[in-house]
Amino acid sequence: MEENRNLRQPCFITREGDKVDNTILKIEHISKFYPGVTALNDVSFTIQKGEVRALVGENGAGKSTLIKCIMGVEVPNKGTISLNDNGNWVSGMDALQAQAHGMFANYQHVNISPDLSIAENYFLGRVPRTKLGLVDWKKMKEESQQIVNKFKMDVNPQAKIKDLPIAMQAMVTISKISVNEDIKLVIFDEPTALLENEKVETLFSYIKELKNQGVSIIYISHRLEEIMDICDTVTILKDGTYVDTKSVSEVTKETLVSMMVGRKMSDIYGIKHFKPGKELLRVEGLSDETHFQNIDFTVHAGEILGFFGLVGAGRSEIMRAVYGVDRYKTGKVYLRGEETHIRNPQNALMKGIGFLTEDRRADGLALPLEIKVNINMNSYDIISSAGMINLKKEQERAEEFCEKINVKTPSIQQQVGNLSGGNQQKVVIAKLLCRDPEILIFDEPTVGVDVGAKEEIFKLIEKLTEQGKGVILISSYLPEVMGLADRLIVMSQGKITVCYDNEQMQNLTEEQVLMAASIEE
Amino acid sequence: MNKKSSNGVKHFYQHTEFSLIVIIVILFLASVFGTKNFFSEYNLMNLLKQCSIIGVLAIAETFIIITSGIDISIGAITGLSCMAIALLQSKAGMNIAASVVLAIVIGAICGFYNAIIIYEFRVTPMIATLGSQTIIRGAVKIISEAKTVSGLNKSFTVLGTSSVWKLPSLALIWIVVAIIAIFVLRYTVFGRNLYVMGSGVEVARLSGIKVRKMFYMVYSLCGMLCGIAGVMLAARINSAVPTGGEGYEMDAIAAAVIGGASLSGGRGAVTGTILGTILMVLITNAGTQFGLNTFVLEITSGVLITLAVVVDQIKSRK
Repeated sequence: MEENRNLRQPCFITREGDKVDNTILKIEHISKFYPGVTALNDVSFTIQKGEVRALVGENGAGKSTLIKCIMGVEVPNKGTISLNDNGNWVSGMDALQAQAHGMFANYQHVNISPDLSIAENYFLGRVPRTKLGLVDWKKMKEESQQIVNKFKMDVNPQAKIKDLPIAMQAMVTISKISVNEDIKLVIFDEPTALLENEKVETLFSYIKELKNQGVSIIYISHRLEEIMDICDTVTILKDGTYVDTKSVSEVTKETLVSMMVGRKMSDIYGIKHFKPGKELLRVEGLSDETHFQNIDFTVHAGEILGFFGLVGAGRSEIMRAVYGVDRYKTGKVYLRGEETHIRNPQNALMKGIGFLTEDRRADGLALPLEIKVNINMNSYDIISSAGMINLKKEQERAEEFCEKINVKTPSIQQQVGNLSGGNQQKVVIAKLLCRDPEILIFDEPTVGVDVGAKEEIFKLIEKLTEQGKGVILISSYLPEVMGLADRLIVMSQGKITVCYDNEQMQNLTEEQVLMAASIEE
Repeated sequence: MNKKSSNGVKHFYQHTEFSLIVIIVILFLASVFGTKNFFSEYNLMNLLKQCSIIGVLAIAETFIIITSGIDISIGAITGLSCMAIALLQSKAGMNIAASVVLAIVIGAICGFYNAIIIYEFRVTPMIATLGSQTIIRGAVKIISEAKTVSGLNKSFTVLGTSSVWKLPSLALIWIVVAIIAIFVLRYTVFGRNLYVMGSGVEVARLSGIKVRKMFYMVYSLCGMLCGIAGVMLAARINSAVPTGGEGYEMDAIAAAVIGGASLSGGRGAVTGTILGTILMVLITNAGTQFGLNTFVLEITSGVLITLAVVVDQIKSRK
């Protein structure tokens, strides 16, 4: 019967035209466009019952978008996704329907209610009731305790989520999936990013258990060895297009990487490097006691200093402190050899430090305002006298930088909110350069930007270093920092774990850097 | 819609200002030819006087709305400085100049207090000013012993009845305030910074704008304008009542919103607000001349406000 069929070992011999009853998910010709960016372009593949499928690709390859489309969170512009619900093909599901049909996802960012307990989160929206229709707290407690035990989480199910360490929160979101009864497909998006080794083992045994029950898994991870460990097959995406699906036994890490990247790194990251000049910025023993401790680094004229670390490593927090947005408790900052104290962003700008923030929409751009105002936003003190703006200069500077940075717009009066992501990013960069700072901090300068715009941004950084500016480049994308930086600082849990100089960087591998980024105390 | 934000991209007829002018002209002409008394000097003067006080308050509110805030204490502040000037002149026998200055300063202090609650204690503007509105209303009743105060200086109340070049003095004050406000929003760094703050406080902070100072400045400025409105109110009604200025905040918000200011911040212009004020007052005035039921007129104003916001939503969705 149903169960018997589920227990049968699924076959993945061919990728097309399998036995129909064994296919659980069909993705057919999916395309998804965002303004200015093609996130997915005609992607098709299928997943079998009980298969553990890895999904790999660079950042921006379209993995997250694809998951959102599968889970009904985003609606694709073209194509269909259909699920085999006991012999019936269901497609065009929204987020609620997707769950009702047995598809569940564990997203990259912990998405549980912080003010509720573990038990309440488990049973969110499906609270057990007594005969009188009241909440059956006893049953909820018992069942939650069982789940907690099963996942070897040494924690009281009554504990509030916000009181738990982040790794435990991640574990709650993973174990929450097991509350559901009819599970057909589970998507794990970077589930191990926040977990310790021991918990990774627990996760893997859960995945195996699901597989044995005939549940299909989509597993996304940057850690290729994990994929080799627990996945049956692997699908490679690149720049929003489908590359191939292989059995894990027929690939190696090297072949995977080459399929993921598909082009020579040097093409896009091939910028000229210059001989570093005098010291511009030196930071010694900087700590804020919560996000980062004992940070030392130096930036010279004409060099790019790279910062790499996993989410929560504290890179952006350091830069916010240096720029005067947040306070630091101890440590010293030297500008051009002299000790200085930067009290606020205005102070930083006056002293020649510019900061491109990670989240352009939240803290970089004034979306309802025109391009002209956005570009001049942090330099009105320069183009005004006695509080009066020199409108002619405002206009000229906006036009000049729009042209320099190649912002594509019909007019500088255009509202920034109407521009595409790549063009918005160019406007923030124009805003940064317009002030002509000597030290530039780029925090994730290529987030949500397509390859063409990326290349333009890299060329711009090259030009800046040629002019003798000091550049700090923060990126979560390894090839980017490794390809561009002259020196590379790797951080883990608020501390610098290693600093590679120019020579060491010549023979550096991604694995070495990742190892350094995941060093724990 | 903010005129500046779309200049050169949109044509003039696509602006909120253009539609408002068309409606105002139609309504005006209809009233001129449809009623007996609308186009009399007395009524037109009256219309302008009605506009003046709300007009000044609507400009004050526009500044606040641009920063994505809202101030519902402006009516109460107006009432307070109106009462203050009446008491200072009648009970304390203070001279005109000193009492006017003091009444305006009292308004500015109230605004400054709002800024403390909003910025230092991170209370949302709506709740902060709801609190101060209630406090100020209570204070007005205490200092006036809940009685109407009259006996203002005759040479002061002339302000409420006199005209300069055929314009009521009150309207002249409104025009001067409006011109200064237009200038500040268009040509000064302070004005630009208000729009940036309205788009996002974090954006403003990271762009080197002193956000704290800006909060204090804009709310104090708003309070100061309320102080001016209070002085105008005292001159116009020749006395001060304990409930003076009640409900003015809603008219002011309505005028700003009809004029294209967006409550989500970053958008708004004084020209639009002026037209919004005129339209609001014109509907009531013309409606009365046509002999329409006042309650029907209330509904009409309500529909107009809703319509303005709906149109704005539809436009911003495109």
